[in-house]
Amino acid sequence: MKLTLTNHNFSTLLNSSFINLTRPFCSLSLSSSLSSSTSIKPQVPIFLRPPIYSTKLNDLKKWHNWAKNIAFSIGSSFVQSDNGPDSTILCRELKWFIEDVVENHHSLFSQVGDDNEKVKMRADIEELYCLWKQRIEERKPFQYIVGCEHWKDLVLSVQEGVLIPRPETELIVDLVSDVVSKNEGLKRGVWADLGTGSGALAIGIGRVLGDGGKVIGSDLSPVAVAVAGYNVQRYSLQDKIELREGSWLEPLKDMEGKLAGLVSNPPYIPSKEIPVLQAEVGKHEPRVALDGGIDGMDALLHLCDGADLMLKPGGFFAFETNGEKQCRELVDYMKSNKSASLCNLEIFADFAGIQRFVIGFHR
Amino acid sequence: MAHKIIFKPTFILNLKQQFTTTTTSQTHNISHCHFLHHPFFNIKIRPISLHSTTPITTTAAATANHGGYLDLTDDDLMRQCEMGTFKTSGPGGQHRNKRESAVRLKHLPTGIIAQAGEDRSQHMNRASAIKRLRSLIALKVRKTVDLDAYSPPRELLQILPPKSSIRGSDIGSQIGPNNPKFAMGMQALLDLIFAVDGSVSDAAKYLGLSTGALSRLILSDDSLRKEVNDLRASKRIRGIYWYSLWAQIQ
Repeated sequence: MKLTLTNHNFSTLLNSSFINLTRPFCSLSLSSSLSSSTSIKPQVPIFLRPPIYSTKLNDLKKWHNWAKNIAFSIGSSFVQSDNGPDSTILCRELKWFIEDVVENHHSLFSQVGDDNEKVKMRADIEELYCLWKQRIEERKPFQYIVGCEHWKDLVLSVQEGVLIPRPETELIVDLVSDVVSKNEGLKRGVWADLGTGSGALAIGIGRVLGDGGKVIGSDLSPVAVAVAGYNVQRYSLQDKIELREGSWLEPLKDMEGKLAGLVSNPPYIPSKEIPVLQAEVGKHEPRVALDGGIDGMDALLHLCDGADLMLKPGGFFAFETNGEKQCRELVDYMKSNKSASLCNLEIFADFAGIQRFVIGFHR
Repeated sequence: MAHKIIFKPTFILNLKQQFTTTTTSQTHNISHCHFLHHPFFNIKIRPISLHSTTPITTTAAATANHGGYLDLTDDDLMRQCEMGTFKTSGPGGQHRNKRESAVRLKHLPTGIIAQAGEDRSQHMNRASAIKRLRSLIALKVRKTVDLDAYSPPRELLQILPPKSSIRGSDIGSQIGPNNPKFAMGMQALLDLIFAVDGSVSDAAKYLGLSTGALSRLILSDDSLRKEVNDLRASKRIRGIYWYSLWAQIQ
C-alpha cells in the first residue's frame, strides 16, 4: 500500500499509534469548529497499523482454513435470505483480509516454507478469529472489519457510524471533474459536500479542483466528521477541505449565494424498505445515512432548497438518488418549484444502467 | 490500406473505409442513456455486432495503423468504450454491500469486450480492463501486409530477440510481454503470421530469426500463442507447443 505522508502531524500520529492503538488522535489539527468531535477517536484501518504481531505460519494457515470453511458453509443462504454475499464473495473478502493483515502476503501460501516460520501481522491471530466471526455471524460489513474501503483510487478509512462509500457515487466526482475542466471559475470556487460521511466526495472533488478551489464537507454525525478528518489528513488535503459539523445547510449559513458547486449522496431509501435491507447495510450502517423518510425524498427536497439558496449564478449541483422514479420526481419538483433558479436539469445513469443522478446549474 | 477485424481466423470482415471525426456521444467516458438499451451484462462473449460495419470513428492521423486504437491514450480509448458493471438485479446504491466493482468495457468501433473484476476498487478494475482491451485489440484487429515489400515496423522489431539478423542495434533492448508496448509489436507480428497463412517458418524468414526462436517468442505470451494456434488449426496446421519445440531442440 503506497502512502504519502508529508504531513508531520500525521506521521507523529502514526508513531503514536505504533505504541498504543487506542490512543486518541489528539494531534489531529482540524478546524476549530470541530470542538465536539475532538473527543471521538477514529479507528486506524488494519492496513495502516504497524506489523507488531508475530504468528507461526502454521497457526495462520489453521485460521485461514477455518475461515475458508465457514465461508464455504454459507453457500447461498445469505443470498436467499436478503440478497447478501455468497461463498464466492466471502472467499474474495478473506483474500483481501489477509492482504490487509499480513505484512508480506505475496509469498504467504505459495512457498513451501517451514510451518514454524514466523509471519508478521498487523493484528493478533485471536483478533482475526473474532473479526471473521463478526463478519459471518453478525454480518458485519467487510469494510468495517478491515476499517477501510477502496473507492476510486483512494483507500478511505471507515468505521461503524459512517456510511461505506459505494462504487456508484464515484461517478459524481467524474461529473464534477467534467464540469470544472470546462469552467475555470468553478474550478477555483468553493464547493460543498453535504452529509460527507467518510469524506469520499469531498476528497474526490478536492483533488480535481484547481488552486484556490475549496470544499466544505458537512455532517450531522460527529463520528463521520472525525473519520472524514482522518481521511482528509491522510491525503494531505487539510488546506483544501474544511469539515463542519451540523445538519445539511445549517453549518453553511455564511455561504449563501457563494457556492460554486453542491454535491450530496443523501439518505434516500424509503423508510419501509429499511427493515428488509441486506443485513450488512440495515443492521450495521447508520440509519441516519440511509433513511430518506416515507418516500425517501426528505433530504433530496431539502437539497433542492439548498441548491437554490447556496449556489452562486452558474453554480453546479449533483445529487445521488434511489434511482429511476426518484430521479424523475426530483426533476419534476425542481421544474415546478425551482425553475426560476435551477436550470439545465439532467438525469444520469450509473454504470449498472440505473438512472441515479440529477445534475443541473443555478441560473 | 485495408483494415480488417478478424474474430475467427476464417471470418474476416472489412471495415468501411469511411472515417468521420469523433462524435460528441463518444467523447464522454461516463455512461449514457442509450447504454440503458444495451443490456449486455449477462453475455460472456458478444458476437461481432453491426458496429463493425458502421463507419469507424477515429482521427485521420490514426488511420495509418489498424484504426490507430493502440496509439490512443487510455483516456481516449476509454472514450470509445461503453462501460458497464455486472449488477444485474436490485436497486444498487445505498441498498447494496457486495463490493461488486467488476468492470466491463465494450469498445464501440470494434465490438471487442474486455472485463476485469479481481481488484478491490472499480478504479483499478477499469485500469486492468483497459490493459486487457489493448491486448485484445492487438490480437483481433488485423491489417493486410504486402509481403513483397515487407519491412517489419519498429514496434515489431522491439519485441524480437537480439539474435534477429534484421534487428538493428538502434532498436534497444527486447520488450517482453509485461511491457505495455508489447501489444503493438504483437499486433504487427500477427499481421505477418496471418499474411503467411500461419507458417511460423515463413514468418521467421521475414524477421531474420530461426523457426525455433520465433516459436519461443510466440510461446512467451499465452494469448499470442492461442491466437497463432487458432489460425493454424483453421489452416489444418499443427499447433506450436512447448513440448514440440522441445522435441525440435533435442
